[in-house]
Amino acid sequence: MVAGLEEISGGTVEIDGEVVNDLQPKDRNIAMVFQNYALYPHMSVYDNIAFSLRLQKMPEDVIYSKVTNAAEILGITDYLMRKPRALSGGQRQRVAIGRAMVRDSKVFLMDEPLSNLDAKLRNQMRAEIILLRQKLNTTFIYVTHDQTEAMTLGDRIVIMKDGYIQQVGTPAEVFEMPTNLFVAEFIGAPKMNIVKTDLVKEGNRYFVTPCGAKIEVAGEKGDLLNEKNVKSGSILLGVRPEHMKLTFEAGADTIPARLEVNEMMGSELHLHVFTADGTRWIVRVPTIDLTAQQRKSLTNGAQVYITFEGKVMHFFDPETEKNLIY
Amino acid sequence: METKSMKQHMGMRTANTISNTIIHVLLVIISVIWLIPFVCIVLQSLRVESTWQVGYILPKQWGLDNFRNLLNTNFPKWYLNTFIIAVVAAALQTVIVLCMSYTLSRFRFKLRKPLMKFMLILGLFPGMLTMIILYRVLKDLGLTQANAVPGLILVYIASSGMGYYVSKGFFDTIPKSLDEAARIDGATRAQVLWKIILPLAGSIVIYTLLTGFMAPWGDYVFASYISFGNSSGMNVAVGMYNWLTPDQINNNYTMFCAGGVVVAIPVVILFMCLQKYYVEGVTGGAVKG
Amino acid sequence: MKKYSDLEYLKLSKWERFKYRFVSFFASIPVAIWHAILGIGGWFKKAGLAVANELKDIVQTFVNGDWKTKLSYLVMGFGSIARGQVLRGLLFLIFEVVFIGYMVLYGVYWMSMLPSLGLIGPHKEYHELLDTYVTVYGDNSFKILLYGVLTMFFIVAFIFTWRLNVKQNKISEEILRSGKKLKSGKDDLRSLVDDQFHKTLLALPLTGILIFTVMPLVFMILVAFTNYDGTHDGFSNNLFTWVGLENFNTMLHWSGGGSTNYAATFGEVLSWTLMWAFFATFTNYFLGMAVAMMINKKGIRLKKVWRTILVTTIAIPQFISLLYVSKMFAKNGIINGLLMDWGWITKALPFWEDPTWARITVIAINVWIGIPYLMLIATGILMNIPADLYESAKIDGASGWQQYSKITLPYMLFVTGPYLLTSFTGNINNFNVIFLLTGGAPTNINASGAAGSVGYTDLLITWLFKITTGAESKYYLASVIGILVFVIMAIFTLVVYGVLPSIKNEEDFQ
Repeated sequence: MVAGLEEISGGTVEIDGEVVNDLQPKDRNIAMVFQNYALYPHMSVYDNIAFSLRLQKMPEDVIYSKVTNAAEILGITDYLMRKPRALSGGQRQRVAIGRAMVRDSKVFLMDEPLSNLDAKLRNQMRAEIILLRQKLNTTFIYVTHDQTEAMTLGDRIVIMKDGYIQQVGTPAEVFEMPTNLFVAEFIGAPKMNIVKTDLVKEGNRYFVTPCGAKIEVAGEKGDLLNEKNVKSGSILLGVRPEHMKLTFEAGADTIPARLEVNEMMGSELHLHVFTADGTRWIVRVPTIDLTAQQRKSLTNGAQVYITFEGKVMHFFDPETEKNLIY
Repeated sequence: METKSMKQHMGMRTANTISNTIIHVLLVIISVIWLIPFVCIVLQSLRVESTWQVGYILPKQWGLDNFRNLLNTNFPKWYLNTFIIAVVAAALQTVIVLCMSYTLSRFRFKLRKPLMKFMLILGLFPGMLTMIILYRVLKDLGLTQANAVPGLILVYIASSGMGYYVSKGFFDTIPKSLDEAARIDGATRAQVLWKIILPLAGSIVIYTLLTGFMAPWGDYVFASYISFGNSSGMNVAVGMYNWLTPDQINNNYTMFCAGGVVVAIPVVILFMCLQKYYVEGVTGGAVKG
Repeated sequence: MKKYSDLEYLKLSKWERFKYRFVSFFASIPVAIWHAILGIGGWFKKAGLAVANELKDIVQTFVNGDWKTKLSYLVMGFGSIARGQVLRGLLFLIFEVVFIGYMVLYGVYWMSMLPSLGLIGPHKEYHELLDTYVTVYGDNSFKILLYGVLTMFFIVAFIFTWRLNVKQNKISEEILRSGKKLKSGKDDLRSLVDDQFHKTLLALPLTGILIFTVMPLVFMILVAFTNYDGTHDGFSNNLFTWVGLENFNTMLHWSGGGSTNYAATFGEVLSWTLMWAFFATFTNYFLGMAVAMMINKKGIRLKKVWRTILVTTIAIPQFISLLYVSKMFAKNGIINGLLMDWGWITKALPFWEDPTWARITVIAINVWIGIPYLMLIATGILMNIPADLYESAKIDGASGWQQYSKITLPYMLFVTGPYLLTSFTGNINNFNVIFLLTGGAPTNINASGAAGSVGYTDLLITWLFKITTGAESKYYLASVIGILVFVIMAIFTLVVYGVLPSIKNEEDFQ
């Protein structure tokens, strides 16, 4: 719709203050990088990048300088005479970006540009795209399923589900204050722990009671609950794995749990633990926080205790799945 | 244990050898069956001792008389007619088919589905039915009999848009994102077709040209309708068909064979060169339905 | 019939499953037909609603429109011109002028003659100068019908254009009301190579189809309701006229024996046509597949040679190969000659003289013609069958035959289902093979009274051809046959498409 390839069902699209609803794609001055690159197979890399410039009837020497310039930035100068068939995935990706770069367009659309690359190359290209964006300094619209890409590349993230916008905000905003359960589970890896529990209001203080424990809601979360005047009742409680705490002895507000799976990620451990009522929690523990002895004891079936602080909780309405304090 | 499995192994291998031998023999027989009529045609065309059908294969007297005799008939005229018709019809038909199939593959307009259904229904009528009226109309326009060549070209290409299936199937395999990329790069839809799709559609263009050439080259029905007994408007099929009617066959049988050889040679050569594209088209088309 | 759930079905024995599927297949045919009828009914309902909506919209546009719009109801394109879209408006206006001019000068006449198809036939009139009676030609039924059809198409086109003109006004008003600008003539022309490019591309092919297929078909369908034939050619002999359903009555009414029993002849030709189509399709299909599998088998040498030999035969024009082969099998042809030389037979075999021999020979030669195509298609598909299917089957312990019947065949059938259908309908109309091989011979004496000397190997399509080219040229009968062929093909297609999806779901390979 932004590009004009599909018809706009309602509303208006503006680029740089101009309504472009009725404009053909070619008249909108946008550049796009496709998921499968969409390089023209019968043209050389040079011709691919020069295609749009030639359609604008630009003089050949200008085209030459633009294309070679872009090729240099992307490091594909050596392949300019090759056909796309003879390139590797990463190189094709660069050509596709190069083709978009030379356009000097107002908007840069990227449709899952990295999803066809292997993990290593993806990381590398991601960094290059960040650099490129700093250099070009234009608007990028970047579509992705990968929340890491979204978090690292985005100034603002639009999270969509089934064609509807769920939340718009900076990476920090959507991370700290997701509007609903979908956003909360989508952003962050491993995904947020969600537990059905009760919210209890005692005077001005709020408590949650997961698995028999009673933990007080603290900090601004508590203030917000007060502000919205949320009543006691059943809620969905969300706590990110990295906010979970692991102890080896029972203490105040701890929940006893049994370790089922221990994923050693190197710098950190992902522990899948089950509490007595059968709820699964994922706890992310930096490896460095544990002594060698403790690490050794974390075998399947080991008894551990988990807890979390009062300021890291998220509250969702069990029916509407909306954030109660947003 | 070991000997048993060895035996089994050996058994499997000999069974395989036997079945492969049988298949080789069968393939030889099949090839002979498929080739014999054509070998016969060539041999008969070189037979000069008699002009009628005989019950033996090898000529008793060899010679090129039959080919020479062809020149004394209307055959060269028919040949020229057929050639002109086939070349022009193939070219125009290809243009029409490509327009149709590209549109149906790439554009999504409101009448697209109804149009395709409508053409499916049209295709269920025997095409020959329309010849009765087309003949009368073309006759009024003066495009039949002696002037059958332009009339026939018109008939061959007119409805060729209905045969879009194979090439649409091909266009469907070209990723749509290429079109989209080109349009974003600033190309109009016409430029997309001309600069992006056509250069990629070489094989289907050749396939359409080839089949568009071969069909009129060997067509009998429409040509016989339109030329309507007028010798100078006939194509080779209609002209040579008349050589094999019961009262003609005894004079012209060997000449028919000679003519057949002359007619077949260019198509066979063309076909051999372009076989790859033909095979691609046929297999692709059948799988798509 | 009891319908099983998935789990119940899985509990059945092999034989019961087969029985269940067999019965449910045939039980689904009437359902498919019923759905098709319902579909047609629904289509009419939808069409009716659409027309009602259009009418409502036309009225509303008039009521709500400004004076420019209102005047456009009479003067097409006026609104467009008044709003500055001169090109569009002029096109509308020119079309209207041409249409009115045509209708006044010709159209009204043709339409008025259409119900009678001509009143005055050719007749003798006294000529004073020559002092003798000369033939004077009157009306021309053929032209009346032809131009009548043309005029009807023109009227329909006019109604659509008029409607478009009204809609145009409505849209323009809306655009202007929302404060946007209308497209100029230049924009219109430019859009013809861009967002409206499909209209440009389709213009030529669709015009061709309309003029050379649709209009002739409408004409020929109408001919089925007239007595147009060689003796009623509509001009120089006699006029022809409407006869209602009489021709269908002639063709389908059983007149009880006798040589002019068209219904009997039709039944005979139809049953042979279906038989032919069935055998021609499936012999080619399975034998072609067998040849392809033989060539593709591991360990077979010279694969390319075998394939090339077969494929090359496709290139040779059918009229040469078929005519030649037909003569090879003639009474004094090479086959009989050689067989007699070798002393295997003493009397020539009646390949073309005996009805049963002729039918079998035709099917056999059709195999010779068809196998190369099928070999190509089958090869393409066989190569597409994922090799790991066979590997896993082998690990599961499947024998060669089981691999064929459990993997190859179902896969082929699934992929080529639509092809089989087109091939079957194509064979119903396979003019070339029959006409060039036998010309329909041997003649069927029982049907000699029917038009066009019907033979035992005649298909409906060759019969149709013979009727139109024979001395009597009973065009109306040819037209009736054509319509009946269409009905048969349509039923077939509908049923197969109605039933196919159920098969597809069951054997999903994708």
